[in-house]
Amino acid sequence: MNRFADHCHRVSPHDLTFLAGVPCVYHCHHFNLFHDQTIDDVLGESAGFDLRMRVARDQFGLLVANLAAKTGATLPAEIAALARSVFATMGQGNLAFEGIGASTRATGEHLHYGFAWREKYGARVRRVDPSDAVASGMTAAVARLTGPDNVDYLGRELQCVSMRAPSCQIVVERDARPDMRSVIAAPQILPRLPSQAVTGLDEDVISNITAGLDTFLRGVGGDERGLIDAFGVLVTHHLSGYYNETAFQAVRHVEAISPSVAGACEELLREAGHVCVFNTFGNILLSPEWEGLVGRPTGDPHEIVRGCTAIARGLGFGHWAIAEHAPGKRLVLRTSSNYEAAHWLERFGPDTRSREYFMQGAALAFMVLSQRVRWSERPQLTQAFYDQLFRGDGLGYRVSTPRSLTMGDELTEVVVEQTR
Amino acid sequence: MMDALIERAASSLPSLRGFLIVTMPDCLLYASWSRPGTDFSAEDASGYFGDLIRANRQGLRAVGAWTSDMQVTIEGANVLVVLRELDEHFVCCALFDREAPLGMIRLHLKVVIEQVRAALPKLELTQLSPGARVVQFIERYAPDPHAALLRISTRTHIPLEQLRTPDALTAQQVTAIEEAAKRILGLENIHL
Repeated sequence: MNRFADHCHRVSPHDLTFLAGVPCVYHCHHFNLFHDQTIDDVLGESAGFDLRMRVARDQFGLLVANLAAKTGATLPAEIAALARSVFATMGQGNLAFEGIGASTRATGEHLHYGFAWREKYGARVRRVDPSDAVASGMTAAVARLTGPDNVDYLGRELQCVSMRAPSCQIVVERDARPDMRSVIAAPQILPRLPSQAVTGLDEDVISNITAGLDTFLRGVGGDERGLIDAFGVLVTHHLSGYYNETAFQAVRHVEAISPSVAGACEELLREAGHVCVFNTFGNILLSPEWEGLVGRPTGDPHEIVRGCTAIARGLGFGHWAIAEHAPGKRLVLRTSSNYEAAHWLERFGPDTRSREYFMQGAALAFMVLSQRVRWSERPQLTQAFYDQLFRGDGLGYRVSTPRSLTMGDELTEVVVEQTR
Repeated sequence: MMDALIERAASSLPSLRGFLIVTMPDCLLYASWSRPGTDFSAEDASGYFGDLIRANRQGLRAVGAWTSDMQVTIEGANVLVVLRELDEHFVCCALFDREAPLGMIRLHLKVVIEQVRAALPKLELTQLSPGARVVQFIERYAPDPHAALLRISTRTHIPLEQLRTPDALTAQQVTAIEEAAKRILGLENIHL
């Protein structure tokens, strides 16, 4: 059940969603873990955690403050309860707060990141650093909102289930170098959106599927563990500014200090798009809910591309539209709104190339899934199958972005073409 | 060719779920067969079981008990694994149903191994460069193998093109890759 559905607003016709004015999307644990891993690969574990925690703190701080204003929560206990409730509803796990201000502590049960990491990687990798920067950021936000002196804190995860601890323990400490930026939210994003969205092939069909998905997702909320276990993955309703700010800061960092490997960083951010489409989109296409809404996938490539486009809209990624599709040869997606572009433009202004890494990776994955998966056989979407589809240079497709909102164009155009 | 040979030899053993041939000391998959409907990554398994054979060799040598025909049997929850040396360059890993009688397994396996052994190529051991060894190691064991080299590149600031020609990596670069590999895998040491 989603207690906060009334505060969730979908901006028509752009398929962007806002929770209490803060931009949000749905992403699964495969994407979330891969994204955080990429940030840490670029910055190192310590600096990576610090960035992720600070961004989460600022994002969730605005969310809880806005929700508190809307619901009339003013007392520290009310604010802490509100934060706990919205965190669990978003599928981020159960986070029990104690204390206020500088004495705030939190115990996490089934926190999304730590729990999912242990489930996915725990048998293969020994983790030596905590996973839950997002929960630590939320704890720091609660410390600020409940404290008497309105100062910034840092969240520190002392123990984490991903490091084989029985539960996650988070404390706060005074932030010695507060650099809280204004969070990019509805007031900054909405004025950047055109009055009309671009349209494409099969617009009516896609819009109908998107509407059905939106209705379904509005009813989705965390279970008794605070997790959303749906479509065979752990889903989060997450603040898109978290992904954007951490990804963009990481890529700008590597561009500044080591430009020769910036391409590898960008490729990892695109790869996150492959990971998302394979796991989340793929499992949605194979789900009973999809069967009830659309029918079983037959394997027709255009049907898959159309379905994936509708899913992207449903998850709040923006109003993606199919401009061209020659199965196996060429796919062109266009959009006048996606969750990445407005953030980049607001933070850094127009650039010389596209910064919509997720959309680029996702578009290429649309092509791969539409051409190389035998949907009628209802395959298991395993890691081995992923490796078979996406590993190495054998993809057979390349992606380019001749036009981009982040380059100051009026729309973004992502082109996927066959290379052999 | 070897895959087809294994499939022919294995098809007569209904309790056999999978059969891998692994190169040593690299622990790379040389050939494999798995019964339809069996879900496991042959490449992952070859790395882990190859490592186990290597550790077993070293352990037996340490106590002066190594022989070339040694066999390791692992009784898992629902699978029985038998590891066996084929020659100095190859080992095999056979996965059986857990309830299969051990005596019958040994008997059948002996027949399959004789056929496989006769068809194995004669190899000259090639010494890999330190760069090639560490790159192979991380590609084999990293949790997201599809992204392993990209991850190493961002962590070490060594361009991807250089990682793809690992024989030319400098000693300093190899050390940096080893450090990155340890961080990615959560290991204190790696033994190459």
